[in-house]
Amino acid sequence: MQKALETLLIGLSTGSIYALMSLALVLVWRSTRVINFAQAGQAMFSTYIGFEIATRSQIFWLGLLFAIVAGALLGAGVDYFFMRVLFKHANSGPALVVAPVIATLGLLGLIRSIVGLTWGGEFKSLTAPASKNGFTFGEVTIPFSPLDSLTIITVAVILIILALLFQRTNLGLALRASAYSPEIAQLAGIRTARTRTIGWAIAGGVGGVAGMLVTSYNFLTPYSLDLLLVFGFIAAVIGGLESMVGAVIGALVLGIGLTIILNYVGTSLVFIGGFSVLLLVLLIKPDGIMARGKVRRG
Amino acid sequence: MESWREARCVVAKVVGGNTGSKVRKKLALFFLIGWILLIIGDRVDELRVYQGAQIAMYTIALASIVLLTGYSGQVSLGNGAMMAVGGYAAALTLNNLQTPIWSAFMMAILVAALFGAFLGLAAARLSGPYLAGTTLALAVGLPAIANQFSFLGGEPGLLFDVGFPPERFGEDFTQYKWFFWIATFIALIALFVTSNILQSRFGRTWRAIRGNSLAAELSGINASQLKVLAFSVSSGLAGLAGAVLAMTISLVAPGAYTLALSFALVTGAVLAGISSLPGVVLGGFILVAIPEIADALASSLGSEDKLNSYLPGLIVSVLLILSVIYTPNGPGENLRKHFHKKSAH
Repeated sequence: MQKALETLLIGLSTGSIYALMSLALVLVWRSTRVINFAQAGQAMFSTYIGFEIATRSQIFWLGLLFAIVAGALLGAGVDYFFMRVLFKHANSGPALVVAPVIATLGLLGLIRSIVGLTWGGEFKSLTAPASKNGFTFGEVTIPFSPLDSLTIITVAVILIILALLFQRTNLGLALRASAYSPEIAQLAGIRTARTRTIGWAIAGGVGGVAGMLVTSYNFLTPYSLDLLLVFGFIAAVIGGLESMVGAVIGALVLGIGLTIILNYVGTSLVFIGGFSVLLLVLLIKPDGIMARGKVRRG
Repeated sequence: MESWREARCVVAKVVGGNTGSKVRKKLALFFLIGWILLIIGDRVDELRVYQGAQIAMYTIALASIVLLTGYSGQVSLGNGAMMAVGGYAAALTLNNLQTPIWSAFMMAILVAALFGAFLGLAAARLSGPYLAGTTLALAVGLPAIANQFSFLGGEPGLLFDVGFPPERFGEDFTQYKWFFWIATFIALIALFVTSNILQSRFGRTWRAIRGNSLAAELSGINASQLKVLAFSVSSGLAGLAGAVLAMTISLVAPGAYTLALSFALVTGAVLAGISSLPGVVLGGFILVAIPEIADALASSLGSEDKLNSYLPGLIVSVLLILSVIYTPNGPGENLRKHFHKKSAH
């Protein structure tokens, strides 16, 4: 019983990090119809910035703030200077369908090499904002640590801010409208191109937080966020790629599921488990858990 | 009865057994190319011979991408993973069953194609982003999976030794030249079969699906079945390439089939023109040339570790981005457009 509870709690904290990555992917997918594989690269770059600030100032939260800002700027920059140019040029022929995906892949490679050339490939470790040792109750120490609870709280705060932004502000309405139907949104007077860039910026900032949180558990290398991208994608697919709520639920389910495998079966099967979940969802419910009998677009 | 006859025709065309003069001419052309390559192999030094084997390996791998992306319009980012499947299948066959080399290569094709069919059933019938993401997940995770199982040899991997060249070739015949001969022979066969497949009914229907999947289905094509078939054939080719790669480095290890390999392959395919089969040879040359150029650049800039490990990636990604923006359908199409404009004026 106690082990089950621990598994649930740790699963929640793992899943909440996946939720951020998965949200970043869904935000971009909704507005641009591209799975942004460069998200891992953008998050990595912002995490390196955050890492530098956090190590120099010895304040994790200052680093996190800088990671958010760097991620947002980079995200907006990628959309403005890269995706717009791409859509202007690659608009015909057999490559039309594949060009955006391949382009984000190229961008991931580019950011990775630039980060590698700047910071090198060494393992960097970030001082975590809270202890990684589990809480102790009397004689018993459980694996759930203050850092885990801090992760859950941080993600919850960010999710609440995002929910308020999307539900209560004009900007959120514009974002939702231009994701739902760009043409109609444009006719209603929304500057869709600008709105899309803002969406990319939000996704970039959220990705930066995910990177910083993962890095406070593990080392940072130019490759350390690849797995986060994969699990974020799986979570987004579970949620149906379209729905932000679905992405969060999918991520929490995936986090708990993978922690169950980790605690009860073994490390070697974690990735296989995640991959099997992906295949199962694609086979059984390809529209995701949030689908309401709607035909998938795109 | 009718469909059986049709199927036999297609099979005959794919293996080139039918006596169509076009196929015979192509066969003659491939023999000629092979003969010229063998003569060239005798005239250049060891390093170039080895690189020739690498080019042959990349050629097969790129053909698998061209078949999948250029013809059937699906994106796979996990060709490196499929190559790993082929490599491990070949090594396990050769090490455990002591069968001849060719059967190891056949096994690589078979296992990778089955694996592809299984994966394709789940993902290939879905649209672009799902397949791209699933294959990317595979490319990220497969090396790690191979690390976990002891029968796959863990981090150091498995030996894959095709043996010394036969003695009747004489003492001058080096190991690398033997690799080159095998790789070139396999690549020529693979390209011949692939080009026949692409010109067969399958190739045409794949192009129809890529062009407009709805219109293709309305003309009676079972699009999702044919997409899975394309994914499976492409995986088989990738598996073959993986086995050839394993031969050239004499082992199968997770470190040989990295995400970077998958990225490099996509880059090669885009650079050479994603829907042109002859282009794959050019793509192979480029992929072998990039590390050489990066090495030369790195040593002229100073010999830091960082430069050596990240400069090739930088060149690859910059090339990929530039080509996907400015020549998304390959340099061939831009040339055609250019001449078209000229003749219009």
